[in-house]
Amino acid sequence: MEKFTLEIIQDTLVAAGDEMFQTLQRTSMSPIIYESLDYAVGITDVKGELLAQGNGVTAFLAALDSVVRATLEKFNGESVLEEGDVIIANTPYAGGGTHLSDVSVIYPVFYHKELVAFTVNKAHWTELGGTFPGSVSTVATEIYQEGLQFPFIKVKSKGKLNDALVDLIKANVRLPDSTLGDLFAGIAAAEVGAKRVISIIEKYGLKTFIKAKDDFLDYGERMCIEALKTIPNGDYEGVSEIEDNGFGEGPFPIKAKITVSDTEFIVDFNGSHPQVKGATNLSYSGLVTGCRSLFKAITTPSMNANGGAFRPMKVLCEPGTIVSAVTPSAVSVYYEVMVTTIDLIWKILAPLIPDKLPAGHMRSVCATFISGMHPDTNQFYIQAEPLAGGWGASATHDGNRGQLSCGSGESYNIPIEIREMRYGIEVEQYAFHNEGGGYGEFQGGNGQYVDYKIISDGAHVTGAFLGEKTKTWGMNGGHDGSYNYFMIIRKDGTKERHSLGTNIFLEKGDIVRCATATGGGYGDPKNRPKEQVLLDIKNGYITKKEAQEFYQI
Amino acid sequence: MRVATDIGGTFTDLVCLEFDKKSGNSLGVKVVKSDTTPSNFEQGILNTIAKGNINLKEIDFFAHGTTVVINALTERKGAKTALITTKGFRDVLEIARCNRPDLFNFNFIKQPPFVPRHLRFEVEERINYKGEINKELNTSTLKSILKTCKEENVESIAICLLHAYKNPKHEIQLLKEIFHLNSDIEIIASHQITREWREYERTSSTVLSGYVLPIAKKYLNNLEERLREKELRNAPFIMQSNGGITSINDVKSNPITMVESGPASGVFGAIALGKVIDKKDLIVLDIGGTTAKCALVENGQVKITTNYKIDHSRTKAGYPIQTPVIDIVEIGNGGGSIAWIDQGGKMHVGPKSAGASPGPAAYGRGGKNLTTTDANIITGRIHPDYFIGGEIQPDYSSIEEASRVLCEKLNASKEDVAKGILRIANANMVNALKLISVNKGHDPRDFSMIVIGGGGAMHGADLARELQVSELIIPPHAGVFSAFGMLMSDVRRDYIRTNVLTLSEKQKETILSIFSEIKDEAVLNFKADNYQQNEMKFTYYADLRYVGQEHYVKVMLTNFSKNTPLKTIIANFHSEHKKQYSFELDAPVELVNFHLVAEVEVEKPDFPKLRVTDRKVEDAIFDTKEVDFDDLGKHDTSFYRRELLEPNMMLKGPAVIAENATTTVVTPLHEVLVDEYGNLIITPQRTA
Repeated sequence: MEKFTLEIIQDTLVAAGDEMFQTLQRTSMSPIIYESLDYAVGITDVKGELLAQGNGVTAFLAALDSVVRATLEKFNGESVLEEGDVIIANTPYAGGGTHLSDVSVIYPVFYHKELVAFTVNKAHWTELGGTFPGSVSTVATEIYQEGLQFPFIKVKSKGKLNDALVDLIKANVRLPDSTLGDLFAGIAAAEVGAKRVISIIEKYGLKTFIKAKDDFLDYGERMCIEALKTIPNGDYEGVSEIEDNGFGEGPFPIKAKITVSDTEFIVDFNGSHPQVKGATNLSYSGLVTGCRSLFKAITTPSMNANGGAFRPMKVLCEPGTIVSAVTPSAVSVYYEVMVTTIDLIWKILAPLIPDKLPAGHMRSVCATFISGMHPDTNQFYIQAEPLAGGWGASATHDGNRGQLSCGSGESYNIPIEIREMRYGIEVEQYAFHNEGGGYGEFQGGNGQYVDYKIISDGAHVTGAFLGEKTKTWGMNGGHDGSYNYFMIIRKDGTKERHSLGTNIFLEKGDIVRCATATGGGYGDPKNRPKEQVLLDIKNGYITKKEAQEFYQI
Repeated sequence: MRVATDIGGTFTDLVCLEFDKKSGNSLGVKVVKSDTTPSNFEQGILNTIAKGNINLKEIDFFAHGTTVVINALTERKGAKTALITTKGFRDVLEIARCNRPDLFNFNFIKQPPFVPRHLRFEVEERINYKGEINKELNTSTLKSILKTCKEENVESIAICLLHAYKNPKHEIQLLKEIFHLNSDIEIIASHQITREWREYERTSSTVLSGYVLPIAKKYLNNLEERLREKELRNAPFIMQSNGGITSINDVKSNPITMVESGPASGVFGAIALGKVIDKKDLIVLDIGGTTAKCALVENGQVKITTNYKIDHSRTKAGYPIQTPVIDIVEIGNGGGSIAWIDQGGKMHVGPKSAGASPGPAAYGRGGKNLTTTDANIITGRIHPDYFIGGEIQPDYSSIEEASRVLCEKLNASKEDVAKGILRIANANMVNALKLISVNKGHDPRDFSMIVIGGGGAMHGADLARELQVSELIIPPHAGVFSAFGMLMSDVRRDYIRTNVLTLSEKQKETILSIFSEIKDEAVLNFKADNYQQNEMKFTYYADLRYVGQEHYVKVMLTNFSKNTPLKTIIANFHSEHKKQYSFELDAPVELVNFHLVAEVEVEKPDFPKLRVTDRKVEDAIFDTKEVDFDDLGKHDTSFYRRELLEPNMMLKGPAVIAENATTTVVTPLHEVLVDEYGNLIITPQRTA
């Protein structure tokens, strides 16, 4: 009967993860947390092995366990972890790092004075200081321009808040209430998880708890190995590129070699371009997190995240490349590079496992940051958000429309009615576009336009839309999709098209049009049933002209 | 006589309270069950009326709850619907919230919208977030829109314009003009359903309302007609998702309010029972065949939420409906939930259910899978003579067959597998129960747990032990408690309106005037059903948050009037936030939604009391058998007939109390007291 007890403990850990997730969402002050759900929460064992994770985004899959391990490394000598301590960290190059905006809160859990587990969360705080609002810049050349660094600092020591640190944060960020609100939300979520872990141990005993978590990790590994067997063994390789570094330089190649066996999955990024000037760099830790999300999609997508399920995966890369950047490289646009690496492995493997991977999707987070003074309240605002676009078609269905990129997940758009109240902008249209592409037996999902009209007296926009020169990729005879870009439509009608742009000045009445790509098509367009094409015309997903040209109708 | 009928997925239930005409004393409760008739739901009701031999002429009060709305939605049997919205925004419905809940699955398929793109029309107009008109409404395209609708055989039109929650002027104008141009097509506008913000949620709510409008109207008209033929004097009341009843005419204009009426009435029945026996803090658990639902009642109040979704799961985004629904957590664990083993060798129970057909293996109708019900039989907790109302004996060979695979894969005995299933099922339910209690800052020890539904009493004692609730209550007729609850409901409407403002004395005038505006609307609505303002009771709530947050905490404004100091309200918010989330902030507080509940109390029957004879508790024992209580050991256990138990009788576990619709398991750690109404009050044994 012990077997069932272990399973119940495991399920209870997962439930505790869900609860931490909700606490953070419901108490946070940053829309990017409570709407975009750009955060993850988790529980690890004393060594930093991941036991449960609650996710909003797929991107933080390696972030939580690695950050706990790095914490253990730091507090291993003269300075040690004590009951009541809470640590914060955001160093990109160390374990669990992505960019400075993603801050981890690490909470060591003690039971009868013994360290028994960690609860941990990592969330995108809207503001951490630095040169530009939102702490993201496509023209930063060093990390010092990107905001405050927290190199594994105790924000609480033996239960006492580090007031000096709080004052320091307050003085260095543009939206101190929001930033500190997020800090307290993170601590509250970690506390909730810690309480649940302790109640499990109180009920079942520490020994059984340890047995349950070891059993759980082995279970994750077993599930993963079973799934790995369904992927054809072999060596595969491919190349992708970062088109631009924000300074008009590029492209910069990223190379991947994948080795699949029944028990191992190795991705080797050696040979990729050295780290670049600008913020389009990814740290090794960020690279692992990206690889894990793709690996999970092709092995155990329906299972809760569990450290054991990543044991068969290895990521190789020498330090100092564009996907393994080292200090003091700027990394605030890391997410675009990460999505590119995911897309690269995806493209290499998709033909082998078309039941798990569709054709290419928008391949960019298409994040924008618009800041200014609210016309009614005269308060400073920053609208930071990822955008939805088209996904690729697959062997069984048309591509989805209106879905955030693979770096997101259970993340939401910001409702128009809420954003118009909060920020000095008005939305002119929110609609699918007809920029073409994605033709196939199964049609790629349409990309979309969002038009923001500035109604405050002046504003600034920062955006990073990779894929401005490269279309999303079609598969198995399906056509490529379209491009991502953002365009400033000035009051006088002049248009400026951008891929990467930082702090571009906008006047009242200017429009920022964000265009996200249409996904790639799957299969020969000739095989698409005529009635389906006619219906697509009727619905305006494609034009008559496109139907004639690509479907011969 | 008072009658309530409840149409469920499998059965249509009828509960009738009979009174002595002269003395007014209760003559008891009549319960009738009959199969649900999906092709023609009202027939099921007529069947129960005939089966129960009930003369509608003698009925003073008739309440009704139905699944007709939720069925039309989940089975996609509603009307062909079109949408009219603001220019530039017809794709809001399809873009939805852009999320991918099955987040590790890159081959995810998004749920399609209820209205295809070619039936989503746009009109020129624009209102801003302050409710000001940026661009006047241009209706010159309406004629051509309606022409297309006609050609496409559209039966229903939903109208949802941006910021109409704040200013519905253009929606009202559109309603008028469309009605003028074409009165054949049903029309409904967002402000008639919800006055809360979030354009996708409002659009979805309006579209789904339009989608069910024709079917619900037809059903309600038929029902009214058939009941009138049978000479029912007063028009029936209809159960809504907010736990209140309303007039049939009211619900015809906004039928989406019926979407979760069944579970809501069960919870309200429990609240009504709680009032009678003086228990105001309750955890209500309803275990059916496929799911278990639970709700928390604090001081006699259950929370109302508008975050309701259909077809929603961990892997599906679902479709939101912003209508007031009582706050229920539902999980895929019921009597029919199937036990299965995944590739890594881990056993799970549910969410897949064997349903009513083929049902659990024990039904002997070809069910190949072991279910929670089968596990209860293997452990000896269900008496073979009381299996599905005593109609059939459990099919033991079928159970044997179904358990074989699990036994082999787990290398365990049938008995251990059964206990494992019950442990896992109970753990799932405990997690759901914690979600509404511990996780929201409540201590279960302060609560009584009322269990209803066919499966509630089987698991109640185990769950009560784990949660440490103060006591467990199994009411009589727990199996048909939803219908029972309707007899205990009041006429109720919830008015929720988004209007964001900072809470400060400066804003007090505005707050009072908005509430009074909403109150006037409520009074007007109730007048249409011939209720006077002096009969009405008003309860005020506000959805509050710290400035900068998105999510809010609902706070009741006790005895709200112009004299209520705002600082009391703010203090209540701080403590509620701390209770739920463990911290409070030194930040300004913002009011997001105004929420007014308007009620008219309906004259309700007293709960019938049980008579006391000089019967002894031992007289109720009809068998003694061995029952496996898992970690509490195997015990020779007395089986009691519930119908022979009387007030003030006491018995100690281990025991099993059998009745037609359910079975109550009493562990060796518990004891039972029967109260004057026949409720089984189960508590830990004092001397254990």
